[in-house]
Amino acid sequence: MTAHLARRLAWCAAVVWAAVSITFAVDALLPGDPARMFAGPEARPADVARIRQQLGLDRPPLVRYGLFMRRLVHLGPRAADPTPPSGADHGTCAVVLSIGPTALHVDLGKSFQLQQPVARAIAARLPRTLALAVAGVLVQILAGAGAGALAGLARGSWLDRVLVGASLIGISAPTFVVALLLQYVLAYRLRLLPLDGFGSTLGEHARCIVLPAITLGVSGAAYYTRIMRDEMSVLVRQDWIRTARAKGAGAARVAVRHAMRNALVPVTAAAGLDFGALMGGAIVTETVFRWPGLGDLSVKATLNRDGPLLVGCVIVASVVVVCTNVVVDLVCAGLDPRTR
Amino acid sequence: MRSTRTTLSGPAAGRSSERSARAVLALAIGAQSAVAACLGPLAPPIPAAHEADDTPRRGGVLRLASFQDVRTLDPAAPTDALALQAEHLLYAGLVDLDEHAQVVGDLAERWEVEDDGRTYRFFLRPGVLMHDGQELTAEDVKRSAERALHPATPDPNAALFEDLLGYDAYAGLRADHLDGVRVEGRYAVTFRLRQPDVAFLPALATHTLRPLCRSAGDRYVDSWAPCGAGPFKLPPGGWQRGSRLRLVRHEGYFRAGRPYLDAVEWTFNVQVAAQRFRFEDGALDVLRDMTHADEARFVADPRWRPFGGAEADRSIMGESMNTRVPPFDNVEIRRAVAAAIDREHYRMLKPANVTVLTQLLPPGLPWREAFAAGQRYDYPAALEHMRKAGYPYDPATGVGGWPEPIVYPLYDQGLLVYTAQLLQQDLAKIGLRIELRLVSWPAFLALQQRPGGAALSQGNWEPDYPDPSSVFEPLFTTRSIGADVSYNTSFYSNPRVDDLVARARGEPDSHRRASLYREANEIVCDDAPWAFAFSYHAYEVRQPYVRGFDPASAWSMDASGAWIDRARDALSRAIGLPAPGEAGALAGDRVAGRARRGGAW
Repeated sequence: MTAHLARRLAWCAAVVWAAVSITFAVDALLPGDPARMFAGPEARPADVARIRQQLGLDRPPLVRYGLFMRRLVHLGPRAADPTPPSGADHGTCAVVLSIGPTALHVDLGKSFQLQQPVARAIAARLPRTLALAVAGVLVQILAGAGAGALAGLARGSWLDRVLVGASLIGISAPTFVVALLLQYVLAYRLRLLPLDGFGSTLGEHARCIVLPAITLGVSGAAYYTRIMRDEMSVLVRQDWIRTARAKGAGAARVAVRHAMRNALVPVTAAAGLDFGALMGGAIVTETVFRWPGLGDLSVKATLNRDGPLLVGCVIVASVVVVCTNVVVDLVCAGLDPRTR
Repeated sequence: MRSTRTTLSGPAAGRSSERSARAVLALAIGAQSAVAACLGPLAPPIPAAHEADDTPRRGGVLRLASFQDVRTLDPAAPTDALALQAEHLLYAGLVDLDEHAQVVGDLAERWEVEDDGRTYRFFLRPGVLMHDGQELTAEDVKRSAERALHPATPDPNAALFEDLLGYDAYAGLRADHLDGVRVEGRYAVTFRLRQPDVAFLPALATHTLRPLCRSAGDRYVDSWAPCGAGPFKLPPGGWQRGSRLRLVRHEGYFRAGRPYLDAVEWTFNVQVAAQRFRFEDGALDVLRDMTHADEARFVADPRWRPFGGAEADRSIMGESMNTRVPPFDNVEIRRAVAAAIDREHYRMLKPANVTVLTQLLPPGLPWREAFAAGQRYDYPAALEHMRKAGYPYDPATGVGGWPEPIVYPLYDQGLLVYTAQLLQQDLAKIGLRIELRLVSWPAFLALQQRPGGAALSQGNWEPDYPDPSSVFEPLFTTRSIGADVSYNTSFYSNPRVDDLVARARGEPDSHRRASLYREANEIVCDDAPWAFAFSYHAYEVRQPYVRGFDPASAWSMDASGAWIDRARDALSRAIGLPAPGEAGALAGDRVAGRARRGGAW
């Protein structure tokens, strides 16, 4: 098991490295001048040239790649010092682990556009994206698994038809339409929730997250409803379910403990993947609801040719995706020992 | 990875599908109705409390919003239109622009021009307090100028001041100080130039060299907290990046009694639909970002029309033709394009935002009226130019014209996508086939500004300061053509124009200067490196209780003279809340919105 886990983690590192390298290459190959994007379309050529030098873009891409990889993970002082007298600059580093007098640093560089360390920009937004992803996946699982289980158990009934119809709409509706409708009805008309934003207190955060979480939850829940319904409707006809009933288990126990537990395996796998994708940023939802997460950040980084910020977002997203995959494997193995 | 199980099959499945389809249809109709509700009638304007009284009142918070974000509030760093709104309130300059875009004194109570326009000596107002409570001195002016123009500062406008004496040595790190800026006493500072420059004053009115507090230091650091001498200051925690900016009144502002507002607040990254919802609710005081449909409804609504207005026309939009790339290396082809574009069609796309432009200067710039010559829509003349170019086109048969399709790169920006289609239709009538190619904004800039890049592309320019030099020099002089990157996007080079523009820059007599630019304008319009098309201005709607807010002021969304004259609604009065927008009005916005909908207004 340990060797298996080690192999998986090594693969994870390789995947992250590949993702970062490809992003670096694509960023270098894309048409457009990051210095021009930073300076603005009306900046004089002399000013653009100076800014290009300041940003280090006058160096060849391979040199920049080498410098970036060398600085990505390194040892440094315990606290990242923005203005050290020694000249060894750790101002853009994030300290991830203290080891005695030194510490393990991650240096993602400095964002061209934001003019602040990428690690700091991402660190500020990562918890918000995490919160939204968790909330969104929770809505997806709770609504989707619940509705799917009900539909599967009551297959062919009016309840099944209503739930299947609703799930069809949920799958078909574009995210921005759902978002605008929720915003219009629940926030603007009924005034139950804030229109958008993030808030500044815990209570405000909790209120602000509801609409984006429901928006994310709608399409995912619709998928999970279909998965769960199909799984449940097949499982409830299995011999071992009949055996459980024959042994006197109640309907609820049979449905939840025997059927649902097995039906949750594919839902868990799908939810894990969805969670990873959401951690990369729910771009439309974050934009409509002004949720300051990684999705908005990575889109702006791409549009503005902000290479360091883009690579930083890719690193975070790829690390989350590969780690989530490992966790999903472990959870699925827990739910269904046959998959170990 | 989604479900692998099969679904229903057979007759039962057919019935189920039919019922599901009906349910889906019903839900879809419901959703459509909800969307249609968004297009319901506009809420009525919220009236001012004292409509007949134009006396400014102190207090209140002006709430603004944008779908964009600001990157920095440092005037020496790359900025954008949105940040300029805030920077104008944060930093006062030696000189500023009045409502007619004319240069007036601000921190400088007067100035002298000597040495045939090579030396500008400014005398500062004594007793001006910066946001940190320190008195502004000439040393602050010099230090701020050196900070902005230092080679380690990412200032995209430094080249505007490259004529200052010693600029090259300072920019090349061969000098510790900028020789062209000299302190001549506590309240006197001199700017010395290499050559006479009449445009120096309007350039100085931009934000780049505005004096900063001593906390800014001698060199640019991105962690500096904005601090200047403007009417508003940034309180601690006032800027939440990507979310909100709040500036509060600078009580020590040198103009007694100003500003009137307690604070100005921006909310960033707000989608246009949410902005409209907020505006109608009275939770947003000025609406600028609107959908095309919403804008048309505000313009058409007689209740709202008195409170809508357009900003000054400052931008220049047109079709930039690369004079080094066929077929636009042929002046007759360029003239044909300039004559073939029916600019009225452009205007009709967004009448509230577009003004037809037939020559270089937009209506918002001084001297525009002196420039009578221009390009005109003249279809027979366009066909004649095609004939003279050697590519005659017969509209009856569709035979002739330029044999190859011309690639026209464009980026996804609503209006420009439409104007590109109009251009395509207009040029097809003279035998020029345009192939539209949608690219990203960075790719568009790369294609347009690279030598040998796009043959034809959409040109867009907004002068840095209100002077013809800020249009002629960057767009149409040989000096602006770079080896790698050029912002003379037509790569137009005409020694006569270069000479006229250079002479105009140093000509102190305004009549002679206007005459020089007039001749340059005539040459450029005739040579047609650009087919000038229109000037774009944003349309803004304000609630009636927002007073003293002029959308056409020299600075976009200038809140420095605005005040709030909003009555407390019935519910607020009953429970003792201040009027929405007043200091401490916290959640009053929502309360007000509810009450207003209940008919309290």
